[in-house]
Amino acid sequence: MAWVTWRQHRPQLLGLAGLLVALALAALGTDLPIRAAYHRHALASCLPPATRSGCELIVSHFRSEFAPLRSAVRYLIVLPVLAGLFVGAPLLAREYEHGTFRLAWTQGVSRRRWLLAKTLLLGLLVVAAGLAFAGLAAWWRAPFDSVDGRIVPAAFDLEGVVVAGYAFFALCVGILAGVVFRRTIPAMTAAAAAFLAVRLGVEKGLRPHYLAPLHRTAGGLAPQSPTREWVLGDHLVDALGRQIGAAREDLAVAHAQHAGIDPQEYLVSLGWRRLITYQPDGRFWTFQAIELGIFVVLGLLAVAVAVALVRRSPA
Amino acid sequence: MTAPLETTALGKRHRSRWALRDCTLTAGEAEIVGVAGPNGAGKSTLLGLAVGLLAPTEGAVRVAGRDPRRDAGALQEVGYVAQDAPLYRPFSVGEMLEFGRATNRRWDGELALELLGGLAPRTPVVDLTPGERSQLALALALAKRPSLLLLDEPFARLDPLAGRHFLQVLMDGAAETGSTVLLATRVVADIERVCDRIVLLGEGRVRLDGPVEQLLATHRLLTGARRPLGRIRGVDEIVRERSSGRQLTLLVRTNGLPIDASWSVDEIGLEDLLLAYMAPEQLQAPPPPEPSRLRWHG
Repeated sequence: MAWVTWRQHRPQLLGLAGLLVALALAALGTDLPIRAAYHRHALASCLPPATRSGCELIVSHFRSEFAPLRSAVRYLIVLPVLAGLFVGAPLLAREYEHGTFRLAWTQGVSRRRWLLAKTLLLGLLVVAAGLAFAGLAAWWRAPFDSVDGRIVPAAFDLEGVVVAGYAFFALCVGILAGVVFRRTIPAMTAAAAAFLAVRLGVEKGLRPHYLAPLHRTAGGLAPQSPTREWVLGDHLVDALGRQIGAAREDLAVAHAQHAGIDPQEYLVSLGWRRLITYQPDGRFWTFQAIELGIFVVLGLLAVAVAVALVRRSPA
Repeated sequence: MTAPLETTALGKRHRSRWALRDCTLTAGEAEIVGVAGPNGAGKSTLLGLAVGLLAPTEGAVRVAGRDPRRDAGALQEVGYVAQDAPLYRPFSVGEMLEFGRATNRRWDGELALELLGGLAPRTPVVDLTPGERSQLALALALAKRPSLLLLDEPFARLDPLAGRHFLQVLMDGAAETGSTVLLATRVVADIERVCDRIVLLGEGRVRLDGPVEQLLATHRLLTGARRPLGRIRGVDEIVRERSSGRQLTLLVRTNGLPIDASWSVDEIGLEDLLLAYMAPEQLQAPPPPEPSRLRWHG
C-alpha cells in the first residue's frame, strides 16, 4: 500500500516538500536582520530577571521594528492545516468522483486496511511536515520568544508539537468529509469550516484552562514589559480584592479629575491594584502536550467514523 | 467444492425500489454466464452484490463460499471490471499493473502482460483508446487469477472491432485462469457466441435461466390462424402470445413431443427469445416463409 499511497498522492506530497523548502529559504533570508538587531540592541541583557533601565524602550523598539514581518508570519498558521486538507479531502472524495472506488475496493485489500494504511502513511508524512514547520518557526521566532515567551498564542500556535496535531486533525477531518460529501471541493470546504470551528473553540474555550491560571497583583497601574506570560485577564481590584467595574473606575477617575488630583495616584491611594490572570511561560510544553492530545484524539475519532462509513458505503 | 458464485433469495432495495429481488443462482466452475436484461433490470446490482460493493437487503451471496462484504479473502477471488472500466487517470499502464500487484496477494504479472499484448507499460492511461482501457481493466481483473470474473457492460463503450478483440482477450484469459465469468450486457448479440448459459433479468427478477442450447432447443414460435382450444400437443407452456390481424403468434416452451401439425413451427433466435421474455409486445412474427421452404398445413 505504501507505493499506491505515494503514487496517488505524489503531487500533494511533492508540493508539501517544495513548500517546506521555500519556507526554510525564506526563514533563512529574513532571519539575519532580526538576529543582527537582537545583538545590536543587546536585548539579551534586557530579559528578565536581569532588567536594566531603558529596557522598555529597547524592547518596544525591537518589537515594532519587525512587527509587520511577525504578523505576516502569523498567517503561516494556515499552512499545516491546508496541507492536511489538501492531502486528506481528496483521498476518498476523488475515488468517488472518478468512480475509482469500484476499482480500489474490489482488490484483495479490505477497505478497512486500505483506508487505515493510507491514513497512517499520510498521517506520518503530514505530522513530519508539521514538525518541520514548527521547528522552523521556533528557530525563526527565537529572538521574539526570548522577549515575549512562547506561551502566547502568536508563538504557541506556530511552534511545538501542536502544529503536527493540527495538521493530523485537518488530514483526518478532510478524509471524513471526503466520504460524507464525495466531492473534493465541498469536502475541502466543509473540512476547513469544521477545522476552524474546533481549532478556535479549543484555543478560546479550552486552552486558557488546561491548568488553573495564576494570579498576580501589580503594584503600579501602568503596564509592565516584558512579561513572557500569556495574560488572560487584567482587572482593577480594590483593597479587598473585589473586581472594579468600568462604571466604578470612571466614577473614581472623574472624582479625581474634579478634585484636581492625578487619577493614577488617587486610585493607588485607594488601595486599588491591577490583578493579572495569566499562564506562565513555563507551562509551554505541558500545554502543548495537552493540546496535541486533544487534536490527535479528535483526528483518530474522525478516522474511525470515516472507516465505519467507508465499510458501509455505498450500501 | 463450493461454487464460484452462489446467491440465495438475494435482494437489494434502493430506497423504495427493489433493484434486485429473490435472485437465486449458482454459477458453476469455468462457466460463462451471460447476464442479460434491459437498463435497470438489476444486472449491475447483481454484480455489485457479488463483489461486495453493495450490501444485500435480503438473502445472501457467496463467492467461493465466502461473504464478499465481510471477508477480504473473497475479494481476492473476484475479478471485477466496473461499467466504464474506471482506472487511475494519472497512472501509466505499468503503474496500474503495479497497483494491482500491490493490492492483491495473488498476482500473475506475466498473465497481465500477456493479455495486454503490445500495450507499452509507459503509456499514460489518459492516452488509451476505449478498447485499450477495457483491455487494461480486464488484464487487471484476470491477473488476480480469480475464480469469478464479473464484467459490467464491457461492450457499451467499444466499437464492434474493439468489442470483438476484447471478447477474444476475455476468452483467452478465462481459458488460462479457469475463471467463471459473469458478463452483464444489454446487447445479447455481443455475448451470444461465447455464453454457455443465459440469465435474463427483468425488473429486478430472474425471468429466464438456462444453458443457451437448451433454451433454443425448447422454445419455438408457432403461427396459426386461431386461438388454441385447450392444450396444444407438444407444448408445455405458452410464454407469450400476440395477434396481428388474423394471424396469431405464440412463443411456446416445448416438451419434446411433435407439435400439433395445425401450427407453423419456427425456431427462434436467442436475441428474439430474450426480447420476447423481456417485453411481450416485442414478440416478432416469424419472417414470411421463403418459397423453397413453403410448408403446407391443413
